[in-house]
Amino acid sequence: MKKKSRRRLFLAVLPVFALLAASLVIFPQTGAAKDQQLSGTLTMFHAGSLSVPLAAMEKAFESKYPGVDLQREAAGSQKCARKISDLGKPCDIMASADYKVIDKLLIPKYADWNVRFATNQLVLCYTDKSAYADTVNADNWHEILQKKDVVWGHSDPNLDPCGYRSLMVIQLAEKKLNKPGLYKQLIANRPKENIRPKSVELISLLQTGNMDYAWEYLSVAVQHGLKYIVLPDEINLGNYKYDDVYKNAFVEVTGKKPGTKMIIRGKSCTYGVTLIKNAPNRAAAIAFLEYMLDPEGGLRILKDMGQPPFVPCRVPTPEMKKALPAELQKLVEVKN
Amino acid sequence: MAFILLPLIEMMTAPSFTMLRETIKDKDVVRSIWLSVYTAGLAALIAFVFGTPLAYVLARNDFRGKKLVESIIDLPIVIPHPVVGIAILSVAGKNHWIGELIGQLGIRIMGSVAGIVVVLTFVGMPFYINTVKSGFESISPRLEKVSRSLGASMFSTFFRITFPLAWRSMLVGIVMCAARAISEFGAVVIVAYHPMIAPVMIYERFEAYGLKYSQPVAVWLVFICLTLFLVLRILTLHDREKT
Repeated sequence: MKKKSRRRLFLAVLPVFALLAASLVIFPQTGAAKDQQLSGTLTMFHAGSLSVPLAAMEKAFESKYPGVDLQREAAGSQKCARKISDLGKPCDIMASADYKVIDKLLIPKYADWNVRFATNQLVLCYTDKSAYADTVNADNWHEILQKKDVVWGHSDPNLDPCGYRSLMVIQLAEKKLNKPGLYKQLIANRPKENIRPKSVELISLLQTGNMDYAWEYLSVAVQHGLKYIVLPDEINLGNYKYDDVYKNAFVEVTGKKPGTKMIIRGKSCTYGVTLIKNAPNRAAAIAFLEYMLDPEGGLRILKDMGQPPFVPCRVPTPEMKKALPAELQKLVEVKN
Repeated sequence: MAFILLPLIEMMTAPSFTMLRETIKDKDVVRSIWLSVYTAGLAALIAFVFGTPLAYVLARNDFRGKKLVESIIDLPIVIPHPVVGIAILSVAGKNHWIGELIGQLGIRIMGSVAGIVVVLTFVGMPFYINTVKSGFESISPRLEKVSRSLGASMFSTFFRITFPLAWRSMLVGIVMCAARAISEFGAVVIVAYHPMIAPVMIYERFEAYGLKYSQPVAVWLVFICLTLFLVLRILTLHDREKT
């Protein structure tokens, strides 16, 4: 029975193959030929906040290229970079929630270029079981976060860009609301225990009722169906037109060795992606990036999931555009 | 053997002595290693207090559903570690009546020493119970029966006959349980990132600073654990020679 059906399948597929073979002879460089060649595993390290859209992209990509198995590892963006630079883990593509991480830790030794492809913004998430869930709004959130019976948290600023950005938002709010000392008062009501390595981890704390409020990216809030408070553009780090305002906020994070510090200044949330130089599966990686940076492909998925993409994606200099694989050059513009 | 030793030796010899000295001067490192040691110790103590009677019952009695009880005890060994953490958090949250209750008692599980001890006890308990159970099983029940027939109560039989014969297996059980507890990472990092136990700190150092600065902490943790367990072993061996 099984054999029979297999043979039937074979007979059915045969003409397709014959056609393909014929087309190969006639047009040796067609896309169809390329699709056939791509195979093997494709490794991608990416920021936790990209997990959901990338899962959707993975599905679409793998149905287009059945031979390729995309294996994704989500972690804080810094950790992703460390896995490549320090542990020497083989990796094809790395996508960071802060494109600067790629500039800082991977270029020039492990990567040549850095494409900015999407933005995000910070929101304050909660659930309907959170304390004061029925009264909280965009005007009184800072009062509620100061209440003693409210547990709120953010991710570790030393490990996760979402962590220092959460702190920057509060600093910017202090300036905008003209309430000196607000930042200090809020942080005083946030014991160290409420800090987690990754912002996505805070969600399970919200959902299990261990925490009332957590700072998250808008995309994460949308994807997890959380309630959230949207803040004005001047403080939400989502609009690059306000970069001049954002840069007034700064957070001290750990430097290159314990005990040292470095200062990170506010900047709009901008995602970056790069191809690792000695990528084990370069051909498949380029094919994936081609899909991911396509306005009708990956960028559309990002848009649907609360991470507004740059259409087209951006690189800072013409030199960097030239360093891109030819297939990707048409998908980016030079814009700082 | 080489499979176990090679990576460990490689890691132990990687950091320089100056790095090691610098690391142990770091107050955060000392605090986290100490926290690791004493939470693991507490977990072993809890396992000793609550696990011993259970192990005894399991070793001495046959009852319906015993296999089921034994399987339940082994569950923490097979469950992936992060799942343990998530499970504990979901019970400890305000959305669960247990969490509500302990919250009113003023106990916090998330991000607290209490939470760490709960997790470590959860993962270490099976090791204690299984070790001690086989310890009890190796003692002939006839000895206890003789004692009972001579008029000793159940309690005094346990403390005068069974305990002196089984205490070594209890000690091994405690060591096993503490060893398992001190090495736990996956479940703890979900329940408590701060305060940091040593494995969490190793992970944090690795992420924030890279391999170079996480290795010395790892070396110190391994070194201190090894010394502690070696001392315990020597103590028990020493006694065996005397008897």
